[in-house]
Order: sequence, then C-alpha cells, then structure tokens
Amino acid sequence: MIAFLVKRVGQSVIVLIGVSIIAFILEHLLPGGPAKAILGGRASPFQIAAFNHANGLDKPIWEQYFVYTGNLLHGNLGRSYKLNQTVNSVLATDLPKSIILVGSALILSLIIAIPVGIFQAVRRNGIYDYAATSVSFLLYSMPSFWLGIILILAFAVNLHIFPSEAPQGQTIGAIITNPRAMFLPVITLTLVSYASFTRYMRSSAIEALAQDWIRTAKAKGLSQRVILFKHMLRNALIPIATLVGLSLPSLITAGVVTESVFNFPGTGFRFINAANTEDYPLLLGIIIVIGVMTVVGNLLADITYAVLDPRVRYR
Amino acid sequence: MSKIDDLDEGLSGEGGDNNGIIGSNSGGEAHASGSQLKLIVQTFLENKLAIVGIALVIIAVLFCFVGPLFYHTNQVTTSYNITQAPGHGHPLGTDQNGYDVLGRLMVGGQSSLEIGFSVAIIATIIGVLYGAIAGFIGGVVDTIMMRVVDTLLSIPTLLLLIFLAAVFRPTLTLLIIVISAVSWLSPARLVRGEALTLRVRDYVKAVRVMGGGSRRIILRHIVPNAIGTIVVNATFQIADAILVMATLSYLGLGLPPPAANWGSMLSDGVNYVYDGYWWLIYPAGIAIILTVVAFNLIGDAIRDSLEVRLQKR
Amino acid sequence: MPLLEIDDLYTNIRLKQGEVKAVGGVSISINAGETVGLVGESGCGKTMTGMSIMRLLPASGYIASGKVKLDGRDLVAISEEEMRAVRGNDIGMIFQDPMTSLNPCLTIGSQIAEAVALHRKVKKAKAMERAIEVLNLVGMPKPQERINDYPHQLSGGLRQRVMIAMALSCEPKLLIADEPTTALDVTIQAQILELLDSLKDQLGMAMLLITHDMGVIAGRADRVVVMYAGKVVEQASTEEIFASTNHPYTEALLASIPKMDGSVARLYSIPGIPPDLSNPPTGCRFADRCRLASDQCRDNEPPLVTNDQNHSFACFHPVGIEANHVKITLKVEAEEIQRIEHADRKPLMVLEHVSKEFDITKGAILQRKAGTLKAVSDLSLTIYDGETIGIVGESGCGKSTTGSMMVALEKPTSGKVLFNGEDLFGHKPKELRLIRSNLQLMFQDPYASLDPRMSVGTIIREPLDINKIGTSQEREKKVISLLSEVGLSSRAVERYPHEFSGGQRQRIGLARALALNPKLIVADEPVSALDVSIRSQVLNLMKDLQRTHGLTYVVISHDLSVVRFLADRIGVMYLGKLVEIGTGYDIYENPAHPYTAALLSAVPEPEPEREKTKVRKIIKGELPSAINPPSGCRFRTRCERATDLCAKEEPPMTSFGALHQAACHFPLISKVEIRTGAAAF
Repeated sequence: MIAFLVKRVGQSVIVLIGVSIIAFILEHLLPGGPAKAILGGRASPFQIAAFNHANGLDKPIWEQYFVYTGNLLHGNLGRSYKLNQTVNSVLATDLPKSIILVGSALILSLIIAIPVGIFQAVRRNGIYDYAATSVSFLLYSMPSFWLGIILILAFAVNLHIFPSEAPQGQTIGAIITNPRAMFLPVITLTLVSYASFTRYMRSSAIEALAQDWIRTAKAKGLSQRVILFKHMLRNALIPIATLVGLSLPSLITAGVVTESVFNFPGTGFRFINAANTEDYPLLLGIIIVIGVMTVVGNLLADITYAVLDPRVRYR
Repeated sequence: MSKIDDLDEGLSGEGGDNNGIIGSNSGGEAHASGSQLKLIVQTFLENKLAIVGIALVIIAVLFCFVGPLFYHTNQVTTSYNITQAPGHGHPLGTDQNGYDVLGRLMVGGQSSLEIGFSVAIIATIIGVLYGAIAGFIGGVVDTIMMRVVDTLLSIPTLLLLIFLAAVFRPTLTLLIIVISAVSWLSPARLVRGEALTLRVRDYVKAVRVMGGGSRRIILRHIVPNAIGTIVVNATFQIADAILVMATLSYLGLGLPPPAANWGSMLSDGVNYVYDGYWWLIYPAGIAIILTVVAFNLIGDAIRDSLEVRLQKR
Repeated sequence: MPLLEIDDLYTNIRLKQGEVKAVGGVSISINAGETVGLVGESGCGKTMTGMSIMRLLPASGYIASGKVKLDGRDLVAISEEEMRAVRGNDIGMIFQDPMTSLNPCLTIGSQIAEAVALHRKVKKAKAMERAIEVLNLVGMPKPQERINDYPHQLSGGLRQRVMIAMALSCEPKLLIADEPTTALDVTIQAQILELLDSLKDQLGMAMLLITHDMGVIAGRADRVVVMYAGKVVEQASTEEIFASTNHPYTEALLASIPKMDGSVARLYSIPGIPPDLSNPPTGCRFADRCRLASDQCRDNEPPLVTNDQNHSFACFHPVGIEANHVKITLKVEAEEIQRIEHADRKPLMVLEHVSKEFDITKGAILQRKAGTLKAVSDLSLTIYDGETIGIVGESGCGKSTTGSMMVALEKPTSGKVLFNGEDLFGHKPKELRLIRSNLQLMFQDPYASLDPRMSVGTIIREPLDINKIGTSQEREKKVISLLSEVGLSSRAVERYPHEFSGGQRQRIGLARALALNPKLIVADEPVSALDVSIRSQVLNLMKDLQRTHGLTYVVISHDLSVVRFLADRIGVMYLGKLVEIGTGYDIYENPAHPYTAALLSAVPEPEPEREKTKVRKIIKGELPSAINPPSGCRFRTRCERATDLCAKEEPPMTSFGALHQAACHFPLISKVEIRTGAAAF
C-alpha cells in the first residue's frame, strides 16, 4: 500500500511539473510573446523591452521557466489587465460556484448510473437493457450544449417550470439558495456524465458477474440479492473510482459548455469570456488551476481505489 | 470449437507408423476456408445496428457532398427573406441571414465530416506511432513518453482548444491540426497497451528464436494484430472530432462566417430559442446526433466482431 | 437407496444457432460414503453433469429432461428457493481454479461464515467460530490469524483448502469436486487429495470426483464412470475398470497415457477428434474413432448393459469378451536397448555455472532495487548430441527460465551457455542469428504461439523468409514437405490457425520449428495444454521426428510421466537449483535426493493396486520464496532428513552412478566412487 502511494504521488508530481511546462510553453506561443499579450497589442517596442527586462524575459529560457514556476508555487497566477484584478481573486469568486455545479452533477449521475448499470447487467439483453442502452447511447452522442438548449426549450420556453438562466450573483449563497434555477444546468451536466458512467457500470457489473467466485457464492446457496449486493457490488464499484478520476477532464469540459449555455457565473463561463476578449493571463491561470485540480482529483481517485481493493491495500 | 476441427487429427496408433498426409475429410464447410478478416466481416454484417450505422454514414456523405448538386441554393449572399418558417421553396425555412437551412445543412455538413475524417486519420497515425514506440521499447523511454501523455490528458482538451483558437485565427486547416494535436492521446495509450501485451506473446518469441528482428515483429506481427483496436478507436475519433468542432463553433470560436458547419448553425440558432424558430435548432442538432450515433454504432460493432474472433479461439 | 440418483439426465446449452447437447442421457448413482470418479476428456459433459446436479448451469444452459434425486427428492422439480437450501447445505462443491474461485474483496473468514450463518441460522460470531473450526479441519496453519486474510494473501494450495472448508462448513452429505487439483502443483495436489480422502471418511460423506486424470481416479475412487461425448460409456468398480476394461474408449484412453516406469516406448493414440455435440451422430458416438467399429455401431446406439460384476458398458464389440477382439498391445522396449552410449556422443550444449536473476524494483522515478528473484542459480549441465534431456520441477523452480537461456531468449546473469563449444552470448547479434537457427523452441500454449493473422503457410515459411533460405518455390516446397512430416495435409497452407484444434496447432508449431533444420529443440510443456488422447499423438510424433531428423530435445515439464516417456536423462529442479540428474531408471526407480523421491510419490498413477498400497511421502508446506531462498540446501525447510548441516552448507553435486548425480548431504542411496577409466564398464 505504501509503496503504491509513494509511486502514485511521485507520478502526480511529475505530471504537475509537466502541466507547468505546458502552461509556460503556451505563454510563449502567444503572438509577440508574453509581453505583448499582457501589455496589449498597442504596446511600443520600447515598452515591451522594458517589460521584458523588468520581468526577466530577456534571460535564458530555462531561467525564465524557474522564475515562472517559482511564481506558481507561491500561488501567484498573474494579473488580468482586462478585468484589472488578480487571477487569484477572479478564481476565488468563480471556482467554488463551478465546483458546486460539477460536484452535484457528479454525485447525482453516480446515484442514477450505478443502480441502472447493475440492473442492466442483471437483466442483460432484455427489453429494459436495450431501452436503457439506447438512452445512454443517444445521450453519449449528443453535443452537451444542444442537450442544454433542448431542455431550455422544453422546460423553460414551453412548460415554464424552470428558468432558462442559471442563478446570477457573485456569492455562493446566491447560487445555492436558488435551486429552481440550478435545476436545468445540473440536470444537463448529470445526463451527460450519466451516459458514460452507466455504460461503464454495466460492463463492469457484467464482468464481475461472469467471475468464478460468483459461481462459488451460488454454490453456497446464497440468494440473488446477497450475491448482487454483498459479492458483486463491491467488486464492480472499485473500477468506478478510477473512472471518476479519469472522467474529470471531460466532466470539466462539459461543465464549461453548460455554464456557457445557462450563463452560469462560474469559471467556465469566465474562461469563454476571457477567450473572446483575449484575456491571456486569465486563460492561462484557469488552465493551470484546472490542470492541477485534475491531477489531484485523479490521485484521490486512485487512492480511493487502493483503499477499496484489498489486493492493493495489503500488498 | 469442434465445428472447425475438420482436419483429421489422427496418426495411426498401433505399431505407430506415421501415415503421413491425412487428407481433410469434408465437414465444416461453413468455416472451411477464409481468413480471420472474413470471419470478422461476417460477424460485423450480422449486426443489424452496424448496417444502420453504415447506412447513416453513406446517407450523410451523399447528403452533404452530392446533395448540393441537385438542390441548388444560394449560400453566399444574404437575403432579406430571414427566419422564414419551413414551407414552399424552403423545406426547412431560412435562417437569420436568409440562407436556406436545408442547403446550409449540406454545406455545413461538408466541413463537419471533413474535420471528422481528417482528425481521425491524423490523430490515429500520430497516436499509433507514438504508442507503438513507447510500448515496444518499454522501460525508461516508455515511462517518460507516457508521463507526457498523462500531462496532456490532465488539461481538459476543450480548454486547450479554446486557448489556441483564441490565440490563432481559426482556418479549416488550422482547426484540423489543433484538434488532431489534442486527439492523438487516446490512440497512443491504447496502442501502447496493445504493444505491451502483444510483445510478450509466444508467437513474437517464436520470431525472435527464428532470428527475426524488431522491425519484422512490429510490422508483421504487432501492427496487424493491433489494427482492430486502432480501427475501432479511429471510428470513435471521427465522432468525437465532429462533437468537438460543433462545441467550438457553438462557443463562437470556430470558423468565422460565411463558412458554416452544423455547430455554428446551432450557435446562431440559439439566439432564437424564445421565438419558437425550431427549424434553426432541431435540424442541425439532429444531423450531428445521427452522424455521431452512426460512427459510434460502427465502432461498437467492429469491436464486438473482434471480440467474437477472440471467443472463437 | 442410493444417496444421489441421476436418472436419464439431458442437459442442453443454447447457441446462437442450434443447441449443444452437452449431457445426453446420463444415469449415475452414488451411495452414502462412496467416492465416484467421473472421468473423460474436455467437452465430454462431465462438468455439465456436476453443474446440473447443483442446477448451476450457465445462463444459456438448461436441463431438458431427467431426474436428479437426492435422498429420494427430485432436485430438478423443486423451486429455486428450495434448491438454494440444498446448495452448500446438503451438497457442497469445489472448483478447479482456487485463484479465481474466491471473492477477492471479502475475507476468507466471512466467505466461509456466510454459508454457515445462512444454512444453520446462527449469529455471525457463532458462524465465525465454525469457520475457524473448519479451517483447522482442512489443515490451515493458524486459522485464528488467517481468518481475516484476503484470498490474494494465500498461496494456491491454501486457497484450495479454503474452498474445501467452505464446501464442508455445513457438513454436506455429498461433495462435488470438479477437477479439484488440476491447477495445483504435484506435491500440493497430493496434499489436497489426501485431505479430501481423510475428510470424507471423518464426515462420512459421499464424493463425486470429476477429473480428466486417470491417476487421480485410480487412487481415490471406489467406482468409476467414464463419459464420452455426453454419454456414459462404461461404469464399474475402480479395480474392475482398470483390470478388465470392456469399452474400447476406456481401453484406448488408458493406452495413451505414458507410464511412469518407462515400460512403453510408443503410445496408442485415438485417431480423429470427438464429435460435434450440436449435431451428435446417430449410432455409437465413439464409432468414428474406434478400432473395432462396425456398421452396426454407426447405425445403432449401443445400450448400457450391466453384467453380474456390476460392470456396465455401452458397446456392441466389447474388448476382451468377444474372442476375436484382442487387446491393444503396446510396443515395450527394454530399458537397456534405449540406453544411450554417452561415451560415443559429443556434447552439443554445455551450461556452465549458469545463473539468472531478475531485479524487483520499487518506486516510479528512481526504480530502486528492492530485491532479486533468483530464478536459476549456478546450474551446470551438459547436453549430448541426439539425446533427450527432461527437466522436471514444480512451478517457479526455474525450468522455463533455463529453457529460455538455452535458446538465447534470456541472457544469463552469470555463467556461460556453450553451443558446439562456442559461447552463445559472446557473439555479435548478426552471428547469434546464424547460430540461433540451430536452436528452436516448442511452446506450451498452441493458441498463443501462432500469429492468428497469418495463414499456416506463411507461419511455417516465416523462418525461411527471415533467414533468406532458398528461392520462393523452394520455400513453398519445403512448407508442403514439413506439413506432411507432421501429418497435416497440404491444404492447410491456405488456412488460418483458428481453423485447427489444439493438437493440430502444436503440429504446425513443430513444423515451423523444424523449418531451419535445428539441432536442438527446447520443448516447454509441449503437451500440457492438450487432452490425453491428443497428447499421445503429439508425443509419438516428437519421437518420430527425433529419429528422422537426428534432433536433440530438452523437454521441460511438470508432468513426470511425459518426461519419462520422452527423455533419456532427467534433471530435477527445485527453487532454481538442479538437485538431481540421471537416467530415467536412476531418477524414477533409484532416486538419491529426498525431493525427487517425494515428487515421485506425489504423482498419481493410473494403477489402482499401486496407488492404494503406495507409501506416500507427502511434502509438508509450501514452496519458499525465490527472492529469499533458504540458506544451504534450498529444500531443507521441507525435508524430513534435514539437519543443521543442511542449513549451513550447500550440498555439492556428487555421483551415484555413471550418469547419476545429486546434491544432498543425506542421500537416500549410497554414493559411489567413480574411478576414471573404469567408469565405462
């Protein structure tokens, strides 16, 4: 177990260094380099030279990288000149709201996907299995923004049950005190991630059910219920922990799109706006933070896996 | 199993002289000859959903590339006849610029499909080479190469795409390159995994014992055996690329007008959600879904028929 | 009244098209306290019969008709809920593979206790107590401590003990053991069989022992039922069935097993393959492969008739009854004729103090060395031109690694491998390639050793292509002649491996190995994946090819009878060490090393008399770890004769005869002084 943890944390550290290198490269990809990006298109060559000198951008590239990562390690993500705010303070207001949105959708989708997947596995190739498979297949093949639009058309425009826009407001309070307005964005994101979770849960459960030890359990005279919930469930759930970790990037992607469909005041919405206003420091800052969160999330998922699976726990 | 065991197994027992050639006795016509590929194709064609998928793809290609030859519309100049409901002269109405929606669906589909196919091909080639090298060499090289993939995977691809799209002015070629640049990761991982398992197979060992080199092993044994997985993944890549392109366009970061694709049509149509102009939202969305469903169906079916091959072992 | 009575049972398995009639009218009865052995080759329906009793058929399987009566109650007719009360309570079952048959996420204690809690309606704590009690009963060391272990923390042998404990926890009247020892090593197999036997007597239960191994049956079963293609073909008491076999299939099966005493030079092999059970033949199902079959057999199905010795068989032309049907006679060669005059032979390959170690690493970045696995340690061996050397030992003893070094697939950590006097690993890659064509490998798994995407012709031609031998036409010709040599038609060229059966694939592999006219073939478990009747075909073929091609074989196997059949000299390995080497006679009849003797006594032989009277020297405990092998003699931890000396000093190889050497401080036979010059006499 400890050997596994050390190895896994080591990998994460390497990947984190990789993320910082990518962010560094992206910054240097900007037309005219970081200086022009930060000072804006109308900066004079003289201004740029002065900026470069002041920020150490005339030093060798590897030295610049160390300065850059040094800043990152101190939690300094730079400054958005377009918003006249530090990137840190922008994220401090936006990020918690996005976490609430993505987190509740993740939990909700797991709550639905796990039982449905198991049910499909037990009744596989039956009529309900085909129906459920078709639904998830359709959801899986649907652009998430289009799903959002359809839900708006149905529930907001035609039925007037839910508002078409997410709750607006700067604080978290404004978000969580308006569940009606939260409904459609959360459901959109839930359905998107449900589609991939349930497919995976189904095959994971089918695999578990085909194992020899299921036959052993039957030979003991256990009932179907005990076999399913005591023997099969745990084995089938273990890989789900890893899956959740691996699906974080696509979940975040879907989150960005959903936020933009519903004007949800979170990081994703901010990211799209930053892209349209060419606010590069903010874009980079968000990329780094989300990259780090993904790596840490993945690490947590794998640790959960190790704790759940005795084969890793007692090695 | 026994169905295909049609060659006579026996040597004579007693006294034990080898009878030499033992002719194949009739039996087992169904599987009497033919390669594995035949078997796979056969299983694939037995799958009704696969046929549906192929039919949908053919229809989509015909609709987008041949359709405009028969259905002439003006997709260049705008007209004042905007957001007209479906009816005479415009089976699916007109959009906010007065373009005919049906005609625009055809033109827009062209770029969606072009992007899908191109990305799948480019990403697969890069990914296969990268993964095969990492998996075959193994050791430290593999570790480093795979950490690079891990790193790129940990940044959500859409964010990278949006960033790049914001930095560079998108053109069709550039979009293809950029989407490919973030899409090669999953084939790379897959092929690496395949290479790792295939390179310890007994038949690869046999080639080593015969004196065969790495080149032969990779080209004659590993690649042909991994090709199934690669093709399946490439099919899913087409579907994914179409979705990504649509999403980018929806977010306003796709190709600038007058170029059209299904995603940008939706992006424009969204502004009219409250006006009840359904023809600006449903046709393009359904076109995307049907195309993506089609490729996913084909991919699933190929994967299933490959598994059948394994079961027949 | 018998305890279990199976009456005309038919079990089918649905396929996409049609049905496989897996069990076609089987009737078996088992009395209380009796052990009935159910034997047959794979696909004969023996496992499906066992599963039908428990009603644990796969989802596509169903019992079409027939009765399964336990104490007079028909199990086929009762509800699923009633059946659940029977499973694990009245009938216990153990399966073949203990590695996959236990739930990896639950402790062994809770897995045993849940059956107790369910059937005896007791509290959890009480059930746990019972779990400890049965674990003790099955010989689990320190059950109190082991109760909270997970399956992966136990070795294969201990896991099988857990399986047995689970099946016996509610003291069933009947135990169904489906190939209970097939996945285990010989010494562990002996432990488990012994345990099953003694538990059966203690608990007074009946046992249905399902196996393909005639040896297992001979020593353990009271009565034997032989199945072929879904039908019972013969049934009698164990002594009776071995002594006066009536059915030609049973006879052929027994004649195709190599004997441990090396008395048989050539095996009988049953021609053809079993019939397709989705469309079984109308007459006797064995008729197509039977040496005695007549038209009557092909048209009519012989009924199962019972004679006055309570011996039943289904055959129109039973062996040994109709006078004109003589028994199969096997060519027996005296030991002396086979004996090779080693003085005349020159050494082909010499292994000099060869060791192979594998590093075990930890950590993602630094890859620190955490230990070394000593797969092979200081092994010296000379292989003479034209002989067959057998290497035997249990899994993990390093025999396969040794084989890989002989064909230059693995490089030894230290020591030399000399081929024709030249060091294999002292060459440039190009030169090594040339030498390599003399050294070929025959693989264990006939499914994994042929590239599924290549036609058989391409597969056999590949070595010729690689080494650029001959023109295109010459290669084609060579392929055809190789195919005919291994007994396959030239039509096989166009076909693909999946169209062939296991035995045929093994022949294709042999043809490929022969393409380069090698001197030495290392055969790593050449027949262990094959059924008994197919096995003898391949073994005979290997002998023939040796004669015609002047081959030298190194046969690596865990199966002592196969090695005895093929090899002139045999080496015994234990935990990376060669502990004894000698001729077949030396090793099998006159072993010097206690490990060799114990290994031999653990092998079940298909001879009831010998099996029932045999004094078994069962080796205690499990194989130690090769990462930290015991000091001195590596076998000392499990040896009865071990003293302090064995822990301190590693025993050197000493001679016990002209070709017989062993490494033991306290050998079972006395050492001989060999004076040079006089030895040849």
